[in-house]
Amino acid sequence: MRSTAAPVLAALTAAALITAGCGSKGSSGGETDSGTLTIGAAMSLTGSLAREGQLTKEGYQLCQQKVNAAGGVDVDGKKLKLDIKFQDDTSQPDVAAQLVDQFNDDGVKLILSSYGSANTQSQAAVIERNGQVMADSAGADDAIFQQGYQRTFAVLSPATEYAASIIKAIDELATPKPKSFAFMSADDGFSKTGAKGGMDEAKKLGYQVIPAQYFAEGSTDVSSAITHVKSDRPDVVIGTVHLEEGVAIVKQSHELGLQPMAFGETVAPPTPDFTKTLGRLANGVLGSSQWTETTAGEDKYFGNAKDYAADIEKEFGHPADYHDAEASAACLAMVMAVEDAGSTDPDAVRDSLAALDTESFFGTIKFNDKGQNVYKPMSVIQVQDGKVVTVWPTDAAEGSFMWPATGS
Amino acid sequence: MARHWLVTAFLQATVYGLLQGGLLALVAVGFSLVWGVMNVVNLAHGSFVILGAYIGWELNVHAGLDPLLGMFVAAAALFVIGYALQRWLINLVVNAPIFITLLLTFGLSLLFVQGMNIVFSANYRSIQTDYASTSLTFGEVRVPLGRLLAFGIAVLITVALVAVVNRTRTGLAIIATGMDRGAARLMGIRARHVYALTFGLSAALAAIAGTMVGTIGTFNPAAAGGFTLLSFVIAVLGGLGNMYGALLGGLLIGLVEAWAGLYLSGTWMNAMAFLVLVVVLAVRPSGLVGRAYYAARVEV
Repeated sequence: MRSTAAPVLAALTAAALITAGCGSKGSSGGETDSGTLTIGAAMSLTGSLAREGQLTKEGYQLCQQKVNAAGGVDVDGKKLKLDIKFQDDTSQPDVAAQLVDQFNDDGVKLILSSYGSANTQSQAAVIERNGQVMADSAGADDAIFQQGYQRTFAVLSPATEYAASIIKAIDELATPKPKSFAFMSADDGFSKTGAKGGMDEAKKLGYQVIPAQYFAEGSTDVSSAITHVKSDRPDVVIGTVHLEEGVAIVKQSHELGLQPMAFGETVAPPTPDFTKTLGRLANGVLGSSQWTETTAGEDKYFGNAKDYAADIEKEFGHPADYHDAEASAACLAMVMAVEDAGSTDPDAVRDSLAALDTESFFGTIKFNDKGQNVYKPMSVIQVQDGKVVTVWPTDAAEGSFMWPATGS
Repeated sequence: MARHWLVTAFLQATVYGLLQGGLLALVAVGFSLVWGVMNVVNLAHGSFVILGAYIGWELNVHAGLDPLLGMFVAAAALFVIGYALQRWLINLVVNAPIFITLLLTFGLSLLFVQGMNIVFSANYRSIQTDYASTSLTFGEVRVPLGRLLAFGIAVLITVALVAVVNRTRTGLAIIATGMDRGAARLMGIRARHVYALTFGLSAALAAIAGTMVGTIGTFNPAAAGGFTLLSFVIAVLGGLGNMYGALLGGLLIGLVEAWAGLYLSGTWMNAMAFLVLVVVLAVRPSGLVGRAYYAARVEV
């Protein structure tokens, strides 16, 4: 036994290294010729984030199509064709960072981020060192923006808002009002920051807060967290989670007899997979979304949110997901910054991103001194009869708020 | 209240852990069989589990077949794929050092996972049934029906596997080839065929496990790696060369994870599972009930 286990482990390590290596092979086209604006994007096209990575890629692709269909990026009177170079980071933060370095070696200074906070965080450090500039489409963890970085700009609302928005919506709309909130969170930075934001908000609004139960990111078994929480009989269960854990919370709560007035979860409920995998159990679950089809605002490339949704449906054959939208918005911010700067020089583009203040199909895009877009509210959605319906903020609501949300 | 909760929570975690462990055992039993008999660590095992889940899912969605029936179709399909892979591919390098088979099966797993990404997309899926998320209630302890079924199937299949291996000619041929391929061949056993049969059987078991995984939880191609790692841990923990090893290993991992989640924190579940592995290996290097008979195998 001993004699076999050692080489096996060594080989597993070797195998892991090989996978890591795979992502960094192959070089992007290289020099930006005079009629083209080249932007680099390391994407999670394989590995654990492949699904979200694919949606992010769609968002970037649609942006490229729309901008080029309008003639290209207007740089000081000259129209440049937008050319986004995609590379696969295999969902590994270290590979995502290496690819940014590789883009830099090829002279590509303008970067669109990979998917998720871990990847984006490792990329942001490299961007800063290399003097590149990055528009961040999906890295929401506040930790990315507490490092003093000057060259990463996130179009999406910060992680602290995800759960907090759901709590604000419940506080505003629910009758009878719940008394207590229990929190369950995955243990990655983004989810933990989200849980903290939610707990702070609930305390501020005067609710009883049952401290968060944590489990490993990607867990499909959250039964022990549920067993813990069940004894406190919370009125609302808030999960700051990704899809797998979010599905597990609802499914296993049902199995284990935990029946609060409502479940609220970040990230998972707006995705079509959530309703598909849970079936009727998904009904009533609240979620927060960076964007919905009723988000207010418009821009010259995408029109308004409804136009955007129609374009995604037409191009990719599925309803628009907020992961698509945030990616397109990051690309849009970069394009607008280049146009405002009248130059592709990374320092000039950085300054013009920092000064950007525009309306778009994604809502307001404007950054604070840390590079976060705190000027755009998040939307709260509820699954009703298998459909995702925007219920908050009320001026963008598509349907009425169903309460108590579960037990239908 | 507090004392009452402690008892209920302990019982609930224990029941849940055992049920989860049974399913993990079913995931790992085929992996352990192949490793024990052929000394091949099949890194593509997790992708067989996921492929089985997709077949079960397709049959459920498009033909309305219940996963309890669909799992047999998935098993048959994976048996054919597994048999062919071993017979015409892995057999070519089965005598080579273990690194070569590791690399080959690692490559196969990349191929399968990426293939499934292309064919089925990376979307998460789940096989929907009416019964999977209903629960039986005993006092305040709940026993989810879907998990109970998966557990029952896991135990039944392990017992059946032991019966097949110990009591049929084919099974004895598998054991004999595992013990000493040279001698087995001299007795007229076609080692290539037996190896392919073993690998096919292993893939079929993975497919059944996969269909069950899909029925009680969610899956997508990226989950394959996790199942391979889990199978590795359980096989080593239970010990090779004994079909009950995987069952015991699975149950132990299930229990340890459930208790760790309850008494420490959900984030400690994996760490505790590996700690148990280390402790067991320190005390019993060949696993809980393993015999490591391939170590004495005569290479020819």
